[in-house]
Amino acid sequence: MRRRGPLTLLSMILVASLVAGLAAAETVYVGATTAKLRSGKTSLDPAVAELKFGEALEVLRKEGGWLEVRTAAAVRGWIFANKTTPSKPAGGGDFLAKLGKSMRRTEASEVTASAGARGLDKVSEGYAQRVGISQQDRDAVDRMTAYRLTDQEVEDFLRDGGLGEYAK
Amino acid sequence: MPNERLNGIISLLLASALLGFLSGCAELQQVAESAARQSGNEQLARAIHGGGTLISGLLPIGYEEEQSIGQAIALQVVARYGGLFEQPDLTRYVNLVGRAVALTCDRPDIAYHFAILNHDSINAFAAPAGYVFLTRGLLGQVRNEAELAAVVGHEIAHVSQKHILEVIQRSKQVAGVTEAGLAYANQNPEAFKGLIDAAVKKLLDEGLDQDKETQADALGDVFAARVGYDPTAYLALLNRLRALKGDDKAFFKTHPNFSARIKAVQNVIEAQGLKPTGVLASERFARSSKRL
Repeated sequence: MRRRGPLTLLSMILVASLVAGLAAAETVYVGATTAKLRSGKTSLDPAVAELKFGEALEVLRKEGGWLEVRTAAAVRGWIFANKTTPSKPAGGGDFLAKLGKSMRRTEASEVTASAGARGLDKVSEGYAQRVGISQQDRDAVDRMTAYRLTDQEVEDFLRDGGLGEYAK
Repeated sequence: MPNERLNGIISLLLASALLGFLSGCAELQQVAESAARQSGNEQLARAIHGGGTLISGLLPIGYEEEQSIGQAIALQVVARYGGLFEQPDLTRYVNLVGRAVALTCDRPDIAYHFAILNHDSINAFAAPAGYVFLTRGLLGQVRNEAELAAVVGHEIAHVSQKHILEVIQRSKQVAGVTEAGLAYANQNPEAFKGLIDAAVKKLLDEGLDQDKETQADALGDVFAARVGYDPTAYLALLNRLRALKGDDKAFFKTHPNFSARIKAVQNVIEAQGLKPTGVLASERFARSSKRL
């Protein structure tokens, strides 16, 4: 076990990455946390579907900065190309990082990519106390961590500035 | 398409099998270690433990650990750079520009946090897990939103490329530490502090390697251009800073000199075919930064 473990592990990682790479051909993935599938290739065209982060899309054609795609549910429409990525986004921790965690003996509670809506965690609070970070500075990082803008606020900001899919 | 679906299924099965195998491997290892210890062979138990430690020490840092590390570094940045500049409208504006750029970066699925440091120096920092800081002094040199987007993009690139985490990962290996997260920090507060100290020293005093800075310049400008900002705006900012301070004594004391950075950004604009869009959003920037 001791001698064969690491070698077997490495070879299996290689095989898994290779197969995953082959499977990604001709497909793009939603790389933005908010993305709309539209009936035409402008931001003025009505949305036909709200897409989820990481969702796979089959590319049918490319025009300008837009892609015509088909979803797994066979919905066809246009997406702003910059909202897609060629490989499946990994989430907060990538595959190897998750693997590393599974190998460790001591586990903390599970978190998702959306975690962070709270302020400082216990580790950084403990660290701040040990090294004597002032309460004012702790509160500042706590507020910074908890600060949130809604997706709608960001969308309005892009529209107002003629940015992203609202570019003129 | 059917072939791709088949490949997808095979890929999923293999990945599941691999994960199952590895968690089984870890459990088996614990059983073996425990058995060796109970039989009185402490040396063998330690050797078995060491095998697992070696493997997990070489694997990347997970997001949960990254958040603890990022927050601890952020605390040091705020403490050393005069606290935060508390101007709600301006903070919101910087966060909006930051979020817009982060949406198009190579790691858009984590939360990014942007804040202004109440410091006159011209500087910007990024800590793991999406903590981005700009000094009041740097914002004072920025003339429009497109320049701000590129600066923010540079810092986001440090996060998306995990530049600081690499430093931590190296320190962990040198120190033989396998975990930087909650459980580890609670049990070994001094060792956790050691990891953070090393990262803060690198970030604030020594600076990251110059090739990482060059990469962050390039990626940052690409991210900003993806949103629609004019990619040449960043050149204007770098030129302004060079005129202000010159190459010998760069304001960003930890970065390559401005001439080298300007040339590298010009090369990226050309190689990536980034078109000048003329989108600078100067008025919105002026409106939002008037309380600076």
